[in-house]
Amino acid sequence: MAVLAAAPLVVKSSFALDIFIRILLFAFIGTAWNLLGGYAKQFSLGHAAFFGLGAYTSTLLQINFNVSPWLGMVAGGVVAALASLPIGWLCFRLRGPYFTIATIATAQVLMLIFLKFRDFAWGAEGTTIPNLGDAPLMMQFDGKLPYYYIVLMLLVVSLLITAWIARSRIGYYLLALGEDQDAAEAVGIDVPRTKRDIFMLSSFLTALAGTFYVQYIYFIDPNTAFNFDISIKAALVSIVGGVGTLFGPLVGTVLLETTAALLQSWLGNQAGVQVTVYSLILMAIILWRPTGIMGFAQEAWARHRARLAAAGK
Amino acid sequence: MTAALVVKDLSKSFGGLRAVQGVNLTVRENEILALIGPNGAGKTTAFNLIMGFYRPDGGSVVAFGREIVGLRPHDVCKHGLARTFQVAKPFGGMTVLENVMTGSFLRHRQPNAARDKAREAIAFVGLSARENTPARDLTTIDQRRLEMARALATQPRMLLLDEVMAGLNPAEVDQAVALVQKLAAQGLSIVIVEHLMRAVMALAKHIIVLDHGQKIAEGNPNEVVANPEVIRAYLGSSAH
Repeated sequence: MAVLAAAPLVVKSSFALDIFIRILLFAFIGTAWNLLGGYAKQFSLGHAAFFGLGAYTSTLLQINFNVSPWLGMVAGGVVAALASLPIGWLCFRLRGPYFTIATIATAQVLMLIFLKFRDFAWGAEGTTIPNLGDAPLMMQFDGKLPYYYIVLMLLVVSLLITAWIARSRIGYYLLALGEDQDAAEAVGIDVPRTKRDIFMLSSFLTALAGTFYVQYIYFIDPNTAFNFDISIKAALVSIVGGVGTLFGPLVGTVLLETTAALLQSWLGNQAGVQVTVYSLILMAIILWRPTGIMGFAQEAWARHRARLAAAGK
Repeated sequence: MTAALVVKDLSKSFGGLRAVQGVNLTVRENEILALIGPNGAGKTTAFNLIMGFYRPDGGSVVAFGREIVGLRPHDVCKHGLARTFQVAKPFGGMTVLENVMTGSFLRHRQPNAARDKAREAIAFVGLSARENTPARDLTTIDQRRLEMARALATQPRMLLLDEVMAGLNPAEVDQAVALVQKLAAQGLSIVIVEHLMRAVMALAKHIIVLDHGQKIAEGNPNEVVANPEVIRAYLGSSAH
């Protein structure tokens, strides 16, 4: 964490800082996803829905009512958390792959709604966010550095929340219902309520990322805000890094984004080659270490401790 | 003795199949009741109806003076009824201790208190040496022990054990019988669904026989094994 906090002091280039910001942003989204998808094993591929709701809520409030995105960000989180109630009510009736498909559909439906209702939210054209220059109270800054620290702060908060949850009763309950919902009910766990609660929290956090992102790029349209890539990446970074582990999404994002950036610079001039190589690397990781990097590290650590204990006897 | 569980006219159909038809049963406090019958007799369905996993088409289930039909499984558990599953359902990726803590959290919100209570339950079933083993690495009998510890950690007044002897070797059956007797000695009321007659005879003084979803016999072990209806159900009508 100290390294992340100090990194911009060393890295001065705006291009590199932009990559860092995107890494931290997806690490944050992945960490939010991981609460639901990793700990509770409710494999959502629709988190773009909440990212988009967060982005649109703060932008609509800012442009129509001049509300600061700082407040809009919280409002977006609340809107997303509330939206997760009916979405969860529908999707949680389904289990396994059917749940996943339902979450994809939800995000797509939301995107279509924002595409169609032109009077409400600018339709397919989207809108630019008025540039006010250096206006910290409106979450606008001259350089990229403040954005870096905002997203770093979001990531740290999400990691602290995850660490607290993993240690408390609800963390055990999430793991239990992720393994077997009937057995979880049998030991007194209110499975529907626990899933609802963690879905709300995960949606709330994901929406904060949405607000941050549109403030960072000064632009919003349905295709940016509800992009399927966001849903995929949220899950992917967690899977590669290790689902249900605290630092899995962060490790996964660093690995994937760095790989993507390096491939881009090495192979970017040959169309298609970098995507192919990227996909091959991805497949290799998932086949070779299905529990992800952190899952593998934990298993190796447990084996190491068992060896030590055996040697000590 | 007062009644721990009173089941009246319990019925459930799945499509055209009448899985449980008008079953009545009473479990007294601190007794072991065995529910036996051929495959498909409706024993496990009866368990699922009592525990809230299925909603009965009709009938009532009163546990410790309260109607529990309509309660969801976690509320039934909170009311003091815990169960194990026919096919053990341990939380495979979690350690033995973590598994049992999911049970003890019901009455103890704080992780430290839950951990202490879980350790007591683990010691009771004799799994302390496996505390940090992932549940998926346990042997069959240890998985059964784990399920009992996890159920016990919810501090139930009644335990429903669904075929805990299945798949155990004779020595392990003896251990499991001893464990169930130890649970009964704690003052728990226990209902067992069991195929293994040796275990049933060793444990229960009160037996109910189900066949095709209906109660065909009830009584003490000697009465039940001498009952012609029971013999017919188990051996088929050609035995006449």
